[in-house]
Amino acid sequence: MSRRGNLPPGPLAARFRGGWPAAGIGLLLLFPLSSPDVFFLDVFTTGFLLAAFAASWDVVGGVSGQITLGHALPFGAAAYACALLTTLAGWPLPLAVAAAILLAAAVGTGIGALSARLAGPFVALLTLALGEIAHEAAVGNTFFSGPEGYAWGGEGGIPMTLPWRDALPFLSYYAALVFLCLSSFGMLRFSHSGAGLILRAVAGSPITAQASGVPIARFKRLAFAVGSAFAGAAGAGFVIHMGRATATDLSLELSFQAATFAAVGGRGTIVGPVVAALVLHVLFQGMSLSPSTRVLLYSMTLLVTLRFFPGGVVGTARDLASRLGGKEGTRAPGGRVRNRDGSRTP
Amino acid sequence: MNALLSAEGISKSFGTTPVLSGISLSIAAGEPVGLFGPNGSGKTTLVNILSGLLPPDAGTVRFDGKEITRLPLDARYRLGIARTFQIPQPYPALSVNEAVHVALVQRRDAAPAAEAPTEELLGRTGLFNQRFVPCARLSQGCLRRLEFARALACRPKLLILDEIFSALSAADEGDLMALLRAANRDEGAAFLLVSHNPPLLKSLCRRILVLEEGRIVRVKAL
Repeated sequence: MSRRGNLPPGPLAARFRGGWPAAGIGLLLLFPLSSPDVFFLDVFTTGFLLAAFAASWDVVGGVSGQITLGHALPFGAAAYACALLTTLAGWPLPLAVAAAILLAAAVGTGIGALSARLAGPFVALLTLALGEIAHEAAVGNTFFSGPEGYAWGGEGGIPMTLPWRDALPFLSYYAALVFLCLSSFGMLRFSHSGAGLILRAVAGSPITAQASGVPIARFKRLAFAVGSAFAGAAGAGFVIHMGRATATDLSLELSFQAATFAAVGGRGTIVGPVVAALVLHVLFQGMSLSPSTRVLLYSMTLLVTLRFFPGGVVGTARDLASRLGGKEGTRAPGGRVRNRDGSRTP
Repeated sequence: MNALLSAEGISKSFGTTPVLSGISLSIAAGEPVGLFGPNGSGKTTLVNILSGLLPPDAGTVRFDGKEITRLPLDARYRLGIARTFQIPQPYPALSVNEAVHVALVQRRDAAPAAEAPTEELLGRTGLFNQRFVPCARLSQGCLRRLEFARALACRPKLLILDEIFSALSAADEGDLMALLRAANRDEGAAFLLVSHNPPLLKSLCRRILVLEEGRIVRVKAL
């Protein structure tokens, strides 16, 4: 892992440590007041949900080092669960969302259990296979045959039944923004917790972690469960916004997008993938590019990042700030920063 | 004397190549034991089996009266068996104090906030000034100290040290020897020290097991 999370931040980085996110959130809060086109509100709303999804990938693939190419599986499973539970079972929305998140966490725990004894590329291959099985099952099946039936895949999908008719675009925008802030905060807290530290150890050297008493299989399951629960929450938000669950919610393209956002933003940083997802999604979706062109652009962005900025944007910025600013503070166990005078900054 | 660790009839083959053949040994509580042998004699394989990294093909391992033959490395650590590696594999993204902290919170009697023991341990092993340095940037000598600090973090009853003195400067070697003696004398930690250096083994151990072609051919009491 190339991130420099435990290196002391330089003065520049330290000064704006909390300032950049606050400024970004402030701008996003003000954006709807500029009476933008409904299309752009929708692009941003989708971007917020995809950013939360990218951050959830980072919990598994960045912080914990378990490169997953099947992260759309818990996302899509939660989306389908939400749609099925509200439309077919008539569950109230909050209950359906809670059940969908639990299902996503269970799916993640299952993936974690299956991949616990694997490492590196084998985890990627296993998750790719599991994701594709789910995607193909969704594409190739029709649920409730007949003219009035629902289609798992294609254009049909499973519609959501919502307690409201047409949500105002700016309300959806703010709801998605609040969700992104809360979920990102939760994921950041997790990645800087004691469990997060142990997961970073497992990511860095599993054998040394095990020789230090860490039951690595249990922590891998935990990483998949937590990351998948957040992916499930994003999936539930996504299906509420889009109005129906489709096979695309389980697609490899979605997993690839999340991995790309994380690599471009800076693996293991949580904030980096969020920013990268927002910028890239708004840029490419805002230009109304075709899906195939978007995939091509994502792939090229990934290639350029891996070649020239392997630490991603945040990793590279931290390197730069550290070189420019020199040593100011140092990090204590659990991610707290200890200043030279001995005081501590959480 | 009651054995802290005992191994009976340990055998291991890789494919059709036998590496260990019916090894039996025991280490008493607090006993400093050396393991000597030429390259390829099976020292690291034996260490891997005793520490739980590899299962034996045959034989049993007992620790503190309990059979632990199939217990993995992490579970043995929590029982009080700590090992170091011949080639340290540090966490590239963690600082020195974070690496020690990870080991401290896993030990049997871990307190929720293990910061004070972390600093105490780093001070003892001479790593306090490097505590915020990423492990990936440590010198060979500091990496060995970190391995030792990580092993001491579990308050070990038994230390299994695989070539921990190799490729060290004379000063680092002297410091590590003093640390090992102190752990043995003050905390009663037994150890099994693997080394190619007979004078070093003689100065630290009470008994040396000589391994050749997968068998213990000699036990030298000092």
